[in-house]
Amino acid sequence: MFLHELFYQIKCSLKTKELYIWIILFPAFLGIVFKAALYDIYNRQTKFETVPAAVVTVRDDPIFSQVTKGINESEDPMFSFTFFSADEEQKALELLDSEEVGGVIYLEDELSMKVKYDGMKATMLKTFIETYTFQETIIKDAVMKDPLGYQKVADALTEDISTVTEVPLIPEGTNTNYMTQYFYNLLAMVALFGSMTGLRKTVESQANLSALGARRSCSPVKKSVTTVAGLTANFIVQSLCMVFSVTFIRFVLKVDLGDKLPMIYLTAVISGLLGVCLGFLIGSAGTFSEDSKEGISTVVSLLMCFLSGLMAGDMRIKIEDRIPIINRINPSALISDCFFSLNMFSDYSRYITDIVSILIISFIFALIGFVLTRRRKYASL
Amino acid sequence: MENTIVKIEGLVKRYSELIALDHLDLEIKEGEVFGLLGPNGSGKTTTINCLLSLLSFDKGSIEIFGRKMSPTAYDIKRDIGVIMQNVAVYEELSVYDNIDYFCGLYVKDKAVRKQYVEDAVKFVGLEEFLKFKPKKLSGGLFRRLNIACGIAHKPRLIILDEPTVAVDPQSRNKILEGIEELNRNGATIIYTSHYMEEVEQICTRIAIMDKGKKIAEGTKDELKRTIKNTETVTIEILSLPEKVREETGSLPHVYSAEYDGARLTVRCSGGKHNLIRILEVLQKNELSFGRVYTELPTLNDVFLEITGKALRDKED
Repeated sequence: MFLHELFYQIKCSLKTKELYIWIILFPAFLGIVFKAALYDIYNRQTKFETVPAAVVTVRDDPIFSQVTKGINESEDPMFSFTFFSADEEQKALELLDSEEVGGVIYLEDELSMKVKYDGMKATMLKTFIETYTFQETIIKDAVMKDPLGYQKVADALTEDISTVTEVPLIPEGTNTNYMTQYFYNLLAMVALFGSMTGLRKTVESQANLSALGARRSCSPVKKSVTTVAGLTANFIVQSLCMVFSVTFIRFVLKVDLGDKLPMIYLTAVISGLLGVCLGFLIGSAGTFSEDSKEGISTVVSLLMCFLSGLMAGDMRIKIEDRIPIINRINPSALISDCFFSLNMFSDYSRYITDIVSILIISFIFALIGFVLTRRRKYASL
Repeated sequence: MENTIVKIEGLVKRYSELIALDHLDLEIKEGEVFGLLGPNGSGKTTTINCLLSLLSFDKGSIEIFGRKMSPTAYDIKRDIGVIMQNVAVYEELSVYDNIDYFCGLYVKDKAVRKQYVEDAVKFVGLEEFLKFKPKKLSGGLFRRLNIACGIAHKPRLIILDEPTVAVDPQSRNKILEGIEELNRNGATIIYTSHYMEEVEQICTRIAIMDKGKKIAEGTKDELKRTIKNTETVTIEILSLPEKVREETGSLPHVYSAEYDGARLTVRCSGGKHNLIRILEVLQKNELSFGRVYTELPTLNDVFLEITGKALRDKED
């Protein structure tokens, strides 16, 4: 009976149009947009003329100073930084006004920037600030482990930003392109959109939520069998979608996901499980219509993705600074961090923490779902 | 003696203050086509949902095939076929796959299942639409698919909850003929509807429900015999003086004469030649009239007489 149920649930899922639209076509389209609009900026930056920028130093930051000096002194530099003290801010602004610099960077507790016009120069400077902020966090972590490696840190960051290919502190085979995180988040989105199919199958098995659920509840098949078969079918189909997404990003869009591709696939499949369990939870909770639940599922998934940086690359870093617990429990952040740590660190400790968190959250979602769907008789239909 | 297939005793179902079922008793014998007739909201579907153990209830007991019904009574469920009011099929699956899927929930043996599915397809006349998706089917065919999914496993008890809602007359007839055939093949049928003509046509015994109560039960003839109306005469007439209406109303065996400005409706209780006597009154008063027709009492008359209101909503 389990196999009969499983076979038809898979067949049903594979014939669901929404699956192709939301879990395959939409992410593929987004991937193409990311590739076209964002990913290549990183690589193209080397081909642009040097962008002059003023730096107003409100506080001392030896790493930033080292990095910017390194860039200034590099061959064919991407940026040319001129330094001003806080008292000299007006001079920097005059240079900006006369368009002698593309922007004024303020080195305060956080990096901020002032530009006269939006444009490629402003975008490049913004990207520099984002990249610096993003990688500074990572490399500072590394410095904590190796305090004597300060010079290496600065060199690594300098060379990374200057698009030199070899980055000594980061393992060989690592893709340091800051824009890759958008693709990690895209994979997280695909995983979480798996909640839509998970949700649908749950609604279809509940007598108080759908006519199909009522008909199936009248059959002599145990509810636990139909529920587990439905979830298994969802997981299988979602895994196929995840494998497709990774393959599309890696081999069609040719985004470098690092050299641990089998682990990337495995992580993607496990992430899909989380999406299915999330859908199971939302589908089981409350007696709203299927449409309402789909709306809730989409909003929840997109909100999680927003918080992990799908729409704004530095969101996860900002959250890490202010409310780090969100990054520990946000499924999207955990999934993208899994891919990130796989790519960035040769040590698996951070990856294992993330993947265990994903499995625990999936288990909790599934457990609540089972508790909510265990009822066999309803007070109203 | 015929076996009792379904026995409901003292069933009470409340939704907060609303009493949906009020101490309902029903006994359905093997081989019957049992009709549950009542207006919308009378408790028919609630009865079915309680019967199927989908709904919890406050009081009472339900036995099917002589055993207590419960959500885990899988042996009982195996012999029940359900056709719900709302069509319940998978839109993504073809006609054949839908029937095969639902049949497979009851029948494990693949060869037997294949045969059963083919029988069901033939029974509802969907042979030409096997590869169609449900959305591509017309309303009537869609309903027939719903029925095929419910009866493919050849159940002993088939429960049909308003299966002809929003169905064209041709498909409706096909469905009703099918139900009669299922009954001839040995299945006991429970049929709920608010269409009295359907219930009159196919049901061997009928329970009329209103406000969660069973207000009458019996064969259609038994039910009709419980009321005083034996014949209703309707005459289309453009003008009718009040004294003529009163004269008509005072004729022997006439217990009601009503005029609505276009039709004179006369209800009779027994007696012979009622129509002739009514026409003689009109002729004597030199009144011309249009069409004249007489009707035997319907279940609507039964309902009307018991509850004081019509069985069907005007829009029905």
